Amino acid sequence: MNEMTRPAPDDLNAMPDDAFRTHVRGWIQANCPPELRHPPKRLHWSQSKPWYMALAKQGWLAPGWPREVGGMGLSPSKQIIFIEELERHGAPRTNDMGITMIGPLLIRYGTDAQRARFLPRILAGEDIWCQGYSEPNAGSDLASLRTEAVLEGGHYVVNGSKIWTTLANDANWIFLLVRTDRQAKKQDGISFLLCPMDLPGITVRPIVTLDMHDEFCEVFFDNVRVPAENLVGQPNKGWTMAKALLGFERIFLGSPKQSTYALAKLAQVAEHMGVADDPVFAERFTRLRMDLEDLKALYETQVAKLRRGEELGADVSMLKVWQSELYQRITETAFEIAGEEGVMVNPIGGNRSLNPAASFIQSRVVSIYGGSNEIQRGIIAKNVLGLPG
Amino acid sequence: MSAVEDRAEGIRLLRDSAAAISPRNGPLGRVRALRSTEAGFDRAVLAEMGALGWLGLRVAEEAGGAGLGVAELCALAEELGHGLAPEPFVAVAAIAAPLVPEEDVIAGARVLLPAWAEKPHAVDASGTTSAAIDGATLRVTGRKIAVPMAAGADGFLVTAREGDALSVVLVETGVPGVTLHAESTVDGGHLGTLTLEAARCVRVAEDASSRIARLLDEAAIATAAELVGLMDRAFAITLDYLNTRQQFGKPIGAFQVLQHRAADLKIQLELARAAVSHAASVCDDGAPAAQRAAAASLAKARASDAALTVTRQAIQLHGGIGYTDEADIGLFLRRAMVLAACFGTATAHRRRYAEAAPPLDVDA
Repeated sequence: MNEMTRPAPDDLNAMPDDAFRTHVRGWIQANCPPELRHPPKRLHWSQSKPWYMALAKQGWLAPGWPREVGGMGLSPSKQIIFIEELERHGAPRTNDMGITMIGPLLIRYGTDAQRARFLPRILAGEDIWCQGYSEPNAGSDLASLRTEAVLEGGHYVVNGSKIWTTLANDANWIFLLVRTDRQAKKQDGISFLLCPMDLPGITVRPIVTLDMHDEFCEVFFDNVRVPAENLVGQPNKGWTMAKALLGFERIFLGSPKQSTYALAKLAQVAEHMGVADDPVFAERFTRLRMDLEDLKALYETQVAKLRRGEELGADVSMLKVWQSELYQRITETAFEIAGEEGVMVNPIGGNRSLNPAASFIQSRVVSIYGGSNEIQRGIIAKNVLGLPG
Repeated sequence: MSAVEDRAEGIRLLRDSAAAISPRNGPLGRVRALRSTEAGFDRAVLAEMGALGWLGLRVAEEAGGAGLGVAELCALAEELGHGLAPEPFVAVAAIAAPLVPEEDVIAGARVLLPAWAEKPHAVDASGTTSAAIDGATLRVTGRKIAVPMAAGADGFLVTAREGDALSVVLVETGVPGVTLHAESTVDGGHLGTLTLEAARCVRVAEDASSRIARLLDEAAIATAAELVGLMDRAFAITLDYLNTRQQFGKPIGAFQVLQHRAADLKIQLELARAAVSHAASVCDDGAPAAQRAAAASLAKARASDAALTVTRQAIQLHGGIGYTDEADIGLFLRRAMVLAACFGTATAHRRRYAEAAPPLDVDA
C-alpha cells in the first residue's frame, strides 16, 4: 500500500464507526496473508513475522498507544472495532506482548529513557517480548511468587523460575514480576523488571502442551545480573502496576470470536456426518447458537461501557466464564457427533480447519488460562455479589 | 467357601496377576514409548497376556481356554485400563479367541482383530460387506472402518453377509484384494479402514448374527470396564494433586468448590463401575439378548461419558500443568477419547438402549 492512500491517524479517529470498520476490513483483507489466517495453533515468530511487519509498516501495530510514541491513538471503541475486524478475518495473534503489555506499562510508568529505548524497537519488530509472571508454585495465587531479585551494586541478581511463559523461545526480552522485599506482605514486595533473554544464567525450556505444541516455556534464572536501570516504576510497586495494566483487554477473553468460529465448524462437521437435519442434533445446535447470541449481547453491554469511556468492572469475569464454557460445549458436541472420526489426529477429509479431536483437546485450556474459571467465579461471587470470604 | 466367594477370590487373584503387565500406579513410560509406533502396541506384551491365559479366558476349557466369564474379562480389562495398556486385549480376548480358539491365537502369537463396523456410531454388524463362493474359493467384498490397532494384525475377522445370514470370515493381511489404511488417533494408536475387493477368506462362523451380537456386547462391556480402570486412576492422580498442590496457603482440595467437583466425579465413576458390574453379571447369567443388549448399552454409554467427564475435569483440576504433554493426566484424556468411541459411542448405545430396553413401568 503506498503512502498516499494511508490516512493520517487523526482521520481514523474522526471517521464514523462504519466507515472506519470498512476501511480496516479492506486493508486486512488485502494484507493479511491468507495462509496465516485461523491458524490451528499459536504461531511462532518465524511464521507470524510477515503479518507483524505488515501491520508495522502500515502504522497499525499499536492501536491503543498514543500517537506521540508511534501508536494509532485510537479511542477504546475504535480499538474494539479494529480488533473485531482482525478476529473476523482470522488474523493470527503475533508475538504481541510488547504491544499489549510492556508498551502500555512503559507509557504509563516508565521513564523517558526507557520509553525512548524500548518502544521504537517494539514497533520495528526488533524486540520480541514475553511475560514472566506465573511460577510453578504461584499460578492462581500469583502474589505468592518467589523469584527473587536482590540489589547488588548496580544490578539486580535474579534467581528463580517462571512458567507458562508464552513463546519465550521466540523472545529476546522478558518482563518479570520479582520479589524484592521478602518481609513485606506478599503483594507489597514485588517489583517489575525488564530482562534481556541473552544474559548468562537464563535457561529456556519449552513445555510441550496437551495439543503437542511448544507454545509455553519454563524460564530459569540462576544468578542473572540485570542492570538496575531496567526496573520499571518504584521498587515494590510491581504488583500495583501489573494490576492497573489489566485494562480493558480482559474483555477479549470473553470475545464471541472463538465460539462463533467453532460453531461454524460444528455446522460443517454435522454436514459431513450427515446429522445436520437430525432433530436431536438440530435442537442441540440451536441451543448453542442461542447461547452464542446471548454471549454477543452480554459482550455488547461491556463494549458499550468502554464506548462511554467507563472502565470495566469485575463483572467482565462473567463473559470469560460463559464464553470459555460455551466454546467447550461446542467442541464437545463436534467431538461427540463425529464419533470414530472425532478421535483422529488428522483433520476430517483433509480440511485443515475441521478437526474435532484437536479442537476438543485445545479447548481444555480456555477454562484454565487468563485466570481459571474457578478464580473467575470467585471474583464474581466476592466482587460482584459481595458474598463473604 | 461358597461358589460366589470362590469366584470373587478367583477374580481377586486375576486382578493381582495383572500387575505383571499393568502394575497399579506403575509408570507410563511404556505407553509413551509406544505412541505413534507402527503397530501401536507391543506384540511381546500381548504374547505375555497369552502366556498368562488371559486371551483364552472366554474360550471353553475343552477348547484350550480357561472357560471364565464376562466378570473375569472385565476385571482384567479394568486393570489394563488402569495402566493404559495399548494392546488390543478386549478385541482378542472377547471376540477373536472365542471365534478362532486356535493355539496361536490364544497364545497371542497370531493377532486377529475383529472388523465389524461400516459407519461411525455403529453398534452392530449390519452393513453391506458380503462374502460369496467363487469357484472353490470364498471371497469377501466390502469396507470396514475403525479397526483399532489394525496395523499390528495378522488377519481380520470380518462380519459379512452370505445371502440373508451373517457370517464371520477370516481374511489374512497381505492377500490380494486387502487394503488397509491406518489413521493415527489422538492417543498414539490408530484406527484402520479395511477395503476388501474379492479377497480370499475362510469362514469361521456361519449364520452367526446372534453370536456376533453377543460377542460385540461383551466387548462393549469389557471396553466399559477398561474405561472404569482408566478413570479410576485418572481420578486417583487428581485426588492426589488436590491433596498436595498448595495455593493461597492451603491444599487446593480444601476449597469447597473443588471438593464438590471431586464428589461429582466420584459419583460418575461409581455409576460406571456399577453399570459395568451389572452388565457383566447379566451376561454371565445368560440373560436373553434384549436384556443383555440393554445392560451392555447402559454400561458403555455411562462409562464413555463418565470417562470423558472425569478426564476432562482431571485436566481442569490440574490447571496449567494438566494442559501439558509431560503430565501423565493428559494420556488418560486422550485414551478416554478413543475408548469412548470403541465398540460403540455413547450416542450409539443410548440409541440402542431406547430400542432394547423393556417398556418403562409407569405404575412403579
